[in-house]
Amino acid sequence: MELLKCINLNKSFGNKKILKDINFTIPKGKIIGLLGKNGTGKSTLIKLINDLLTITSGEILINGESIGVESKKIISYLPERTYLDKSMSVDEVITYFSEFYDNFDAKKARKLLKDLDLDTTQKLSKMSKGMQEKVCLVLVMSRKADLYILDEPLGGVDPATRDYILDTILSNFNEGASVIISTHLISDIERILDEVIFIDDGKIILTSSSDELREKENASIDEVFRRMFKC
Amino acid sequence: MKFDFDNNIPIYIQLVEQLKIYIISGKFKPGDRMASVRDLAFQTKVNPNTMQKALVELENLGLIYTERTNGKFVTTDEKLIKKYRNEYASNLSKQYFYNMKNIGINEKEAIEYLKNIGGNK
Amino acid sequence: MLKKLLKYDLKYMFKVVVIFYGLSLIFALLTRIFLNIENSFIMYVIGQICNGCMISMLFNILINNLMRLWARFKQNFYGDESYLTHTLPIDKKTLYLSKMLSTIITLFTSFVVIVLTIFIAYYSNDFVDMVKNMLFPLSDAYNVNIVLIILAFAFILFLEILNIVQVGYTGLILGHRKNNLKVWLSIVYGFIAMTISQLFVLLILFVIALFNKDILNLIFTNEMISIESTKIIIYLSIVLYTFIIIVENFINIKLFKKGVDVD
Repeated sequence: MELLKCINLNKSFGNKKILKDINFTIPKGKIIGLLGKNGTGKSTLIKLINDLLTITSGEILINGESIGVESKKIISYLPERTYLDKSMSVDEVITYFSEFYDNFDAKKARKLLKDLDLDTTQKLSKMSKGMQEKVCLVLVMSRKADLYILDEPLGGVDPATRDYILDTILSNFNEGASVIISTHLISDIERILDEVIFIDDGKIILTSSSDELREKENASIDEVFRRMFKC
Repeated sequence: MKFDFDNNIPIYIQLVEQLKIYIISGKFKPGDRMASVRDLAFQTKVNPNTMQKALVELENLGLIYTERTNGKFVTTDEKLIKKYRNEYASNLSKQYFYNMKNIGINEKEAIEYLKNIGGNK
Repeated sequence: MLKKLLKYDLKYMFKVVVIFYGLSLIFALLTRIFLNIENSFIMYVIGQICNGCMISMLFNILINNLMRLWARFKQNFYGDESYLTHTLPIDKKTLYLSKMLSTIITLFTSFVVIVLTIFIAYYSNDFVDMVKNMLFPLSDAYNVNIVLIILAFAFILFLEILNIVQVGYTGLILGHRKNNLKVWLSIVYGFIAMTISQLFVLLILFVIALFNKDILNLIFTNEMISIESTKIIIYLSIVLYTFIIIVENFINIKLFKKGVDVD
C-alpha cells in the first residue's frame, strides 16, 4: 500500500484556489523533492497533510486512512518556522517530545545535540535562530517515523549549515521510511532525491524519478526546473 | 570517501564509475568486504536507494558479489579487475590523444610530450 | 494524553499567576498588620497603601488569569505553536478538554486565593458581624449557614467568569476560521456568543416570570427583591450557568473538531 496518497485534492481560501486537483502517491522508502517556486502551494500541501489546514475537497490517505491521530504518530514534520515554546529549555523540549511521541528516541536526540555543542539547559529564546532551527531538525529526525516531511529545511542557511542539515537528514531517517523535502533551492539537494514532484501555480506539473529525468533531459534537475519556469 | 558529483548526469552512473575506480586502483582490495549500503550512502552523501542501484550495477559487472548473510564483497577475480583496469586506462589514453588532436598535436608528438613529462618527474 | 497536556497547560498558567497569588497574600498580611497598629497616622497610611495594592493584586489575578487563558488558547491552537499542537498524536477533543480543565482549575485556585486574601486582610469579629447582619435575612429564609450563602454567591460568580472565558474560546475558534482580521473577528464572535448566552438566561428568566409574580416584578418594576425570589434566582443561576457551560463546551468541541486553518 502507498504510504501517502492525495486524490483530487483542492484547497481554497475564499474564492482563491491555492491547490487544484492534486493527485500523487508516495511509496515507502523514498526521498522525494517537492519542488516549486515560492508561493506556489508547496507549504499549503504540506500543511494539509499535517492537519494544519482544512481540506476544501478531495482526500488525503496515509496508509489508507484519513488524517488523524494514527497518521500523526507516523509523520514527523519540520515546519518552516520554529514552532516550539521558546520559554522551554532544550532539556524540557526533549522531555516534552518523549512524553507525546512514542517513537521519539531521546538518546539519539541527545547525541545529535551534543555534536552541536549546545548547553541543553539553555532556553530556546536565548539561542540564535539558526541554532533553534537545528534543534528542531534534530528533534524531528530523532523520531522513528514512517514519513518525514521537511518544509524548506535549507531556506536561508549558510553552506556549512546546509551540509549539516543534509547530513543529519541522510544519516538519521528511519530505515524504510520516506522523506518529503520541499524546497526551491534544488541544486543543493537534488543528488539525494529519488523522485521529484514539480509544483507550480497550485498544480502538479511533473513527477519523475530524478535519475530518469536527468537521463531523459540530459541535464540536472535544477536545469530542467529553470528551463521549465524560465526563472 | 568523498565524491564530487555532476548534477547533469544520473547519480548512480557516477557512483558506479567512482566505485569502479576504487576497485581497479586497489583502494578496495579483492575479497574486501564492502561497507553496508547505508554506510556507503552516508559516506558519499547520497541517497541509500541510489547507492543500492549503483551496487546492483557493479554486481552485474561482476566487480562485487553478495554473500547471502555476510554482505557484499569485492570480487577475487583479479583477471576481471585487470580487464576493467585496462579498459579504463585505454579509455583515458584515447581521451588524451583526442584532446591533443584538438589542439593540433599529432600522435607522435603527443607521445613525446608524455615521455618528457615522465622524464621531468 | 489529557493528563500530560494538562500538566503543560497548568505549568504555563501558574508560572505567572502564582506570583500574583504570593503578592496579594503578602499585601493582605501587611494590610492587616499595619491597620491594626493603633494611634499611628503613618502606619495607617502605609496600611491603606498596602490595602490598595492588595485590591489591585486581586484584580490582577482575575484579569491575568483570563488573559493568559485566552492567550494560551490562541498561541497553542492558532499561533506558531499550533504547528506542534496539531501534529501531536492527540485528537482535537482532548486538546480542547485540556484547555477547559486548566481553565476550571486555575479559576478555582484564583478564587480560593482571593477569598483567602480577603479573609487574611479583614477577618475580625466586627467584620464577621457585619457580613452576618447583611446576609441574615437570606440565611434565615433558607434556614442555612451564612457560609453556604457566601459560597453560593462565589460559585455563581465563578460560573459566570467561566462562561466568559468559554465564550472567548468560541470567539477565537470562529474568528480563526476566516483568513484575515482574525483578532477582530474573534472579539466580535466572542461578544456575539456572550450576548446569546445572556439572552438565553433572560429568556428563561422571562418564562419563569410568566408563572412567578415575584420574578415578574423584578423584571418590570423597581421593587426590592423578595427573599423568595432571591432563592429562586440563586438556584436558577447555578443551574442555568452550568447548563450553558456544558452546552457551550459541546459546541466548541464540535466547531474545533472541524479542523483549523493556521497561518
